[in-house]
Amino acid sequence: MASTTDSLAASPAFTFSASTFQKLHPTEYFRKFISQGVRPDGRLLDSFRPTTVHYGVITTANGSAMVRIGGTTVVCGIKAEVAEPKLDSPDQGYLVPNVDLSPICSSAFRPGSPSEQAQVVSEAIHRVLKESKVLDLKDLCIEEAKAVWALWIDVVCVSYDGNIYDAALISVMAALLNVRIRKPTYDEGIVKVPGGEAINDENSFKLNLTRIPLSTSFVLFDTDLTLLADPNFAEESITQGQISVTIDEHGRLCRISKVGAASTSQSLLKQCIERAKIRSHELRSIMNQQ
Amino acid sequence: MSRVELLTPEGLRVDGRRPAELRKITSTTAVLSQADGSAYLEHGNTKVLAAVYGPREARHRTLVVHDRAIINVEFNIAPFSTGERRRRGKNDKRLLEMASFIKQSFEPVVITTLYPRSQVDIYLQVIQQDGGVLQACINAATMALIDAGVAMTDYVCACTAGWVEREAAIDLNHIEESSDTSEVTIAMLPKSGKVTLAQMESRLHVDKLEALFTLAGEGCKQIHQVLDRTIRNRAEELAQKLAV
Repeated sequence: MASTTDSLAASPAFTFSASTFQKLHPTEYFRKFISQGVRPDGRLLDSFRPTTVHYGVITTANGSAMVRIGGTTVVCGIKAEVAEPKLDSPDQGYLVPNVDLSPICSSAFRPGSPSEQAQVVSEAIHRVLKESKVLDLKDLCIEEAKAVWALWIDVVCVSYDGNIYDAALISVMAALLNVRIRKPTYDEGIVKVPGGEAINDENSFKLNLTRIPLSTSFVLFDTDLTLLADPNFAEESITQGQISVTIDEHGRLCRISKVGAASTSQSLLKQCIERAKIRSHELRSIMNQQ
Repeated sequence: MSRVELLTPEGLRVDGRRPAELRKITSTTAVLSQADGSAYLEHGNTKVLAAVYGPREARHRTLVVHDRAIINVEFNIAPFSTGERRRRGKNDKRLLEMASFIKQSFEPVVITTLYPRSQVDIYLQVIQQDGGVLQACINAATMALIDAGVAMTDYVCACTAGWVEREAAIDLNHIEESSDTSEVTIAMLPKSGKVTLAQMESRLHVDKLEALFTLAGEGCKQIHQVLDRTIRNRAEELAQKLAV
């Protein structure tokens, strides 16, 4: 008993519980874990959180999927609508992805107009779908210069715990795989979409995806640039930079982004790409399970 | 215009229910780890997620009330939740009205004087809709508030009833709602039987209102039983965890 009193006297004031320490010095708290090669949630530095994919969760949508990566849950619903084609591409349909980070999913988000983060993720997904030519937009044409399908791809984040871009992209790709659109008929300016009987192979069509890009994200921690795979919310908020590698099933790159203050070397980027190849392979087998 | 047969000659409704039969209700609490309280409620094919944050410090100092908490309701409808895709802006009048209804039905029930100078945020996300969105939202919000441990005098249970062709029917689905039926939504405190919200926006003969009110009241009581069972199961589960 006497010895404990002594040690308390030797280090006055600064004895916190672990959770107080975490709140006061989040980075230092984190550093203590990283130096031992683990993260506060028990993961190794390069391990990912458990990931699940469920198809067809929304019956009112043409295609839908729910994706969970650890504590992050997103739902993607795709609705197909008959629309007028754009003037510069009369024989092509179009895709409108949108990611919604509403205040329900985390106390970090405020009600009001879409946050910068939500818009950045929406645009990133839009670029990947467009630039990698994930599907031939001509498939979405109903009648040239008259009517095309517009696919409204809406991602709603239900629970936010970091790595929204990976989760959103997986959910978009899974929902696109799940899409079924009833075959329309075009007759003198009127598009008819038959309703009524249950959807089957006869009266509907699926999308023909040319590739399925999936992303793997990392954050860079501290000055020695330790790579942490699949960051959660706490990790995202104390790190120096983020790297996302989007790769398709043949190992072709579709998008790389590196943002943040920390500057990286080429070898680090290479390391990320190698890891992303393995991860996207794992993701593909998760997506194929159902 | 060809009208849909809403009632078969045998008196069954489009989805095969009897007039006074509710749809299947499934509810779960504590579904979100980020929120202080949360609930997921399925009312037939209507699916709603509710999250409660707070009581916490009020965001704007101008909003602070010195002797009680303020309740803030934000409402979000997923664009893919309806048959027709429609983007509703954050300032859509209809949404604001619904949010205000929900807020006002909880104000008398939550004991706000226990949390002076603070704010309770109720966020609602409609994931799929098939009629009865307001009732599902109110029921989900009740569950989330209870899960957050916010002091309340009673449950708030909501139910709709409408006049489907020649019969009073409970818990209308989307097809019944959208074919010119008059519909009443009421929110009730099941213990005292008091009504905190009654809302109707279409024409109805006065003589028929009584029947709808009784029917919706019965529905509220049934819904209360379902919700209460979920809450009790959850509480037992927690108690067991504490005991170990």
